[in-house]
Amino acid sequence: MIKTVTVLGANGTMGSNVSGIFASFGGVKVYLVSRTIEKSKKAMANIASSVKADSVKKNLIPADYSMLEDCIRESDLIFESVAEDLDTKIKINNEISSWVDEDTIICTGSSGLSIKVLAEVFPENIRKNYLGVHFFNPPYNLTLCEIIPSEYTEKKLLNNMKDYVGSKLHRTVVQVTDSPAFLGNRIGFQFINETLQYAEKYKHKGGIDYIDSILGPFTGRSMPPLVTSNFVGLDVHQAIVDNLYDNTNDYAKESFIMPNFAVYLVNKGILGKKTNGGLYKTIVSNDGTKKYLVYDISLNEYREVKNYNLSFTNKMVDSLRVGDYNSAFNTLINDSSLEAKLCLEFLLKYVVYSLITSKYVGDSIHAADDVMAAGFGWCPPLGMVQALFGIENFVTLAEERLPEAIWNEVEIEQLFSDISSSKYDYRRFFQAKH
Amino acid sequence: MNNVYVLGGSQTDFQRNWSKEGKNEIALLKEAITDGLDDVGISFEDISQLNSKNKVAFYVGNFIAEEYIQQGHIGALITEVDSSFYGVPTARYEAACASGSVALDAAITKVKTGDYDVAIVVGWELMKTVNSKVGGDILGRAAYYEKEGKGIDFPFPKLFGKLADEIIEKYQLDEQRFMDSLSIISNKNYNNAKRNPLAQTRNWFMDLEQAKMRGTETNPSVGGRLAVSDCSQVTDGAAVVVLASEKYMKENYEKEFPIVKGYGHRVAPMLFEKKMKDNNNSPYILPWTRQAVEDAYNRSGLSVDDIDFFETHDCFTSSEYAAISAFGITDPGKEYEAIEKGITDFNGEKPINPSGGLIGSGHPVGASGVRMFLDLYKQLTNNAGSYQLEKSDNGMMLNIGGSATTNYAFILGKE
Repeated sequence: MIKTVTVLGANGTMGSNVSGIFASFGGVKVYLVSRTIEKSKKAMANIASSVKADSVKKNLIPADYSMLEDCIRESDLIFESVAEDLDTKIKINNEISSWVDEDTIICTGSSGLSIKVLAEVFPENIRKNYLGVHFFNPPYNLTLCEIIPSEYTEKKLLNNMKDYVGSKLHRTVVQVTDSPAFLGNRIGFQFINETLQYAEKYKHKGGIDYIDSILGPFTGRSMPPLVTSNFVGLDVHQAIVDNLYDNTNDYAKESFIMPNFAVYLVNKGILGKKTNGGLYKTIVSNDGTKKYLVYDISLNEYREVKNYNLSFTNKMVDSLRVGDYNSAFNTLINDSSLEAKLCLEFLLKYVVYSLITSKYVGDSIHAADDVMAAGFGWCPPLGMVQALFGIENFVTLAEERLPEAIWNEVEIEQLFSDISSSKYDYRRFFQAKH
Repeated sequence: MNNVYVLGGSQTDFQRNWSKEGKNEIALLKEAITDGLDDVGISFEDISQLNSKNKVAFYVGNFIAEEYIQQGHIGALITEVDSSFYGVPTARYEAACASGSVALDAAITKVKTGDYDVAIVVGWELMKTVNSKVGGDILGRAAYYEKEGKGIDFPFPKLFGKLADEIIEKYQLDEQRFMDSLSIISNKNYNNAKRNPLAQTRNWFMDLEQAKMRGTETNPSVGGRLAVSDCSQVTDGAAVVVLASEKYMKENYEKEFPIVKGYGHRVAPMLFEKKMKDNNNSPYILPWTRQAVEDAYNRSGLSVDDIDFFETHDCFTSSEYAAISAFGITDPGKEYEAIEKGITDFNGEKPINPSGGLIGSGHPVGASGVRMFLDLYKQLTNNAGSYQLEKSDNGMMLNIGGSATTNYAFILGKE
């Protein structure tokens, strides 16, 4: 029974949003621990507005690190949400370790560090209570929660936690293995980083906005992939793909290499929305009108975002507008333009990589569906198979259109042998928008 | 007269915002109708065959597409869904938020008389095309616009706020106790919606305390004593049900289906003020609402004791409050007792809105009546999944238009 929770790093974006989830759906008392008590107090208003409920304020108690001992001693669960940096997290785990007792659950909100390494900071009798609980931002809108046990995590505690997060906190729970970037970010950033590589490859055709125009909301996502990267920031993007490049070794390894132009932007501090300038940039003039600019890789400067006016995207959007999904996907499959071919290839690769990865990282084939739908708002891979006319058609298309290198590593028949249909309705994910 | 069987149907996910998806009314209708027909195993070819014998018709409930999407001639729009609908008799039926029920009533009548073997009813509304202020003004047309809507911000929360005032006044209620009862209604409907995978608010947070914290930043007051937590929220959506004659049902299916057991349809004075004057000699705050319910009981030969659950039109907490005595669950003026005792809870003796109702599920106005009817069907046939009730032999719905002006009640039950 969880009655009291301590959140460390409670004034950060994730820390405060997660505090809101515990204080609202969980209905528990939450100690907000930040560097100063003022920061924690300030976080309270944000927390209430993040869950749209002033009633949660009664559950929030601002604190600072000088009060950590008392907070921890009283808590049934500790949620660590400090900076995503191994040394910082090890240091904080050492502090937690000094005061925590044998019954307290300890969670890290890490988005991809090794849970095993982090668990080993604790003495053996405590390690069993440690696990990763990875929310997606903003959790009030994105319900995904990846739960990551380490090899030390006690089975009963893991099951209780899955149950609590699912039924009490109303999250979409997916248990994933302790592997780099876990499942959602691994699949998502494989896709996003490969689009970034293609932006460089096709820089003479327009680069960033060219690729985004091929893989926009009409392909089953709320925003184009490189707009997403710009939104989360190239620094975060880089941390995720570097981790994956260093620590994975499958056919997709090379797709985690960040292209040179993007590394250059990161080094110059040009990161994205948060620095108002990254892959995209918005300029607001004095009269309030907005101009959308994109970084042109060839020119090494910003220019206005172009309307590529691609025939296949126009046709798809027209079909989707009136709910004619079959006609939209027939257009995609039968259009002979380079752009339509690239688009379809990306969607096929997305499904194949998702299915393969969920076998190793997830607990079932539906894990990839859950993480992509509930964590990214993308059409889940099994939904994509359905949209592309079912398994049989999908397999034929994949064999025709995907590079042979993939099939050296994967038996496609085997990949699809134990698939059941998606529990998600694919239609809502395909927007009639460029 | 023939029995009318409810074969099944479907609803769209009321969480969806079709404008955000860039999709129009044809996309909405295509999805809802295709899913509804799939659910009952009727193909477009079957429709063509039935139509060649003039045995199928289409009934469309929609309040005010003219304002939201600049589209009229709503009945005929279904020909854009599939060519098998060419030549099928179809028209749009309108009674504000009770539009779905008028469409249902027309469909039921035509199956009852034997004119048609299959009647398809779709209720729908796209409302996220405009901002909330414009939307509030459009909805004002469900009242007497010139006197109750024009130039007023959010006229309907204000009208149902006045209903709350009148209830306190008529029954001399303790104000705090009454307002707490409204909070319990809101919290219950949000909680019920958590079990409903198609409910608009299924991922939203609400607790009793938040529902009581009216006038705060996250729960601002919107109509007199009512706050946002007392209001259902508009959304986009469609709901479909398929009705059939006994002949068609027996020829094509082997399982059992619920039947329409009774209905009531009464229209109260349009102006809220006149409604209130009109109730002077009645123990009920909304006598014509009560009358519609009584008519349905009389026509079905059932009483409140026979009804296992209710879906009601909780456009605001005050309307669900008034519905409790209209259903006969308590005497008028004693509604708070049923609320406080948990009688109308999901696990109570007389659950109201196990689906989450309008507050929990969302209120795409033209769809709501059909959605309630579909929810009765789901409960009666054990198809309500995670919000299935244990006992569900007979269910009643109450759908109202305007400030409880048009009142429609239906009773469905096992044959």
